Amino acid sequence: MLRTDINELLTQTGPGTPMGGLFRRYWQPVLLAEELPENDCPPVRVKVLSERLIAIRDSEGNYGLMDEFCAHRGVSLWFGRNEQGGLRCPYHGWKYDYTGQAIEVPSEPETSSFCANVKLKSYPLVKLGDVLFAYLGDPAEQPPLPEWEAYRVPEGQAFTSKRVQECNWLQALEGGIDSSHVSFLHSGNLDSDPLFKGSRGNAYNKADLKPSFEVVDYEGGLLIGARRNAEEGHYYWRVTPWVLPNFTMVPPRGDHPVHGHFWVPIDDENCWAWSFDYHPTRQLTETELEAMRAGKGVHSANDEAYRPLANKDNNYLMDREAQRRGETFSGIHGIALQDSSLQESMGPVVDRTKERLVATDAGIIKARQKLRKAALALQEGVEPVGNRPQDQKVRSVAIVLPADQSFVEGIGEAMIAKPGVPQTTV
Amino acid sequence: MSNLSTPTGGCAEATTAKEAAFRIDYPLSAARNTRVVALDPEAEAMVRRASELEWGQARFFSVADPGHTLIETTGVPVDLDEVLNDTNTVVLVAVEGSNAEAVSTIGAACKVRGIMTAGLVVTPGALTSEALLHLRPHARILLVPADEDDLVELLRATRA
Ligand code: FES
Ligand SMILES: [Fe+2]
Repeated sequence: MLRTDINELLTQTGPGTPMGGLFRRYWQPVLLAEELPENDCPPVRVKVLSERLIAIRDSEGNYGLMDEFCAHRGVSLWFGRNEQGGLRCPYHGWKYDYTGQAIEVPSEPETSSFCANVKLKSYPLVKLGDVLFAYLGDPAEQPPLPEWEAYRVPEGQAFTSKRVQECNWLQALEGGIDSSHVSFLHSGNLDSDPLFKGSRGNAYNKADLKPSFEVVDYEGGLLIGARRNAEEGHYYWRVTPWVLPNFTMVPPRGDHPVHGHFWVPIDDENCWAWSFDYHPTRQLTETELEAMRAGKGVHSANDEAYRPLANKDNNYLMDREAQRRGETFSGIHGIALQDSSLQESMGPVVDRTKERLVATDAGIIKARQKLRKAALALQEGVEPVGNRPQDQKVRSVAIVLPADQSFVEGIGEAMIAKPGVPQTTV
Repeated sequence: MSNLSTPTGGCAEATTAKEAAFRIDYPLSAARNTRVVALDPEAEAMVRRASELEWGQARFFSVADPGHTLIETTGVPVDLDEVLNDTNTVVLVAVEGSNAEAVSTIGAACKVRGIMTAGLVVTPGALTSEALLHLRPHARILLVPADEDDLVELLRATRA
């Protein structure tokens, strides 16, 4: 149970809110590179942290992210013409460069300096791998570029998708760190999904349906270790890192690519679920890529607006027969939609005063507490964690360890992303 | 078989703020009979401070080796069996990792009764410790390293 005011603090991320202030200290993924495929391509609307923005790629290939609305009379620049060197508002022809600076105001005399004083609010937008990251905070506090391994591996080793989720970001994040739902909700997928099946870890998973958990506090956030019995005197550990505020990874299975998520607020009632897969040391195969594009693993099959084809309007294509046969536990196909269907069903912003948490929700309890503390501390001038390179060079881990060994000790360096070193996996 | 949108549909449709507002408003009762057990003197101080806050049905204890008797914060000794009879969650709090025997006595007693066990290892800065080693086999969930706030937050969140 959470008090109403704390629930609001954690769930509201618009400008001027404490959690909005926290989010604005991090680079966040906002577009897939494929959405701005070439120079002078059409502009794209971006809504993030309750701000309406427009993204462009200019004639030189510069990426820009600025206020969606023209400084003249507020027309949406989505209707703009992306011309040589900038975006022109179709109403009266004001033209802006990729930094939001007005470079032409046709109604003014040729020699006027009016233009120089007109600048749309804009944010840096940077391509890393197949994703464009934006920073919406104070330029003076801008952290270094993201070091997430998924965006630092050589080309061909990573794949990212995104889907709209119609609920508050925190509901989605809480699903990402809630290891206890995995042996339940997703139990049908271990054998059937091409991106999961055939790892030794799956056998431990299925042999021990009541894992125990260790929630370990560490600098960048939390490490959540799920422990299952393995061979005599040994435990099979699945370690999920959460890095503040909204990054989670899924422990690896066999030689399958490693995956994870960013849960990015669109506004207070919607978020983007970003899902990535990468392999630290090899190219993804054509078969793997095909499965990812088809919505297997952590990905989903979407329409052109990145809304899942199975969504609340069609009851997520609920398959009662598959549910009855036990092929899918929830009757919904695909890990991603199994999660989002349930999280959306809680309502756009779940009323956390009505929860009845249990001890195994301790990871969620702790994460909320860390988020609240970080947001409040930032208002007192305390720098947050999670935006520093050392916090981001992180990996999920699956490992078998002797029963008397602490998992943190046991995994050692395995949770640190190192170029060219394979992931630790079972 | 897919089942396309039914106009008066079920759960999946309760997703707008408007729909969510139709959730029946009734007070949730405290369903937990949580027992908090301090395993060493430092933990005891912490548990005592937590016990002074307002709780539903939570009760707070310390323990002496080998764990068959617990001591309520008021100083009254109670038989472990008696304490466990009417509980469904036991929170074990350790700082030093002494009292290994008590941990296994309590852990084993909880196990046979199907009582949920949580462990807080409050050893500042230490991710590995004796306390952790002793608690691990007996706690369904462990917080490492935990601090005093975590105890209070855990109890609040679970409506103890
Ligand atoms: S069982 Fe977890 S939300 Fe219903
Ligand atoms: Fe899930």
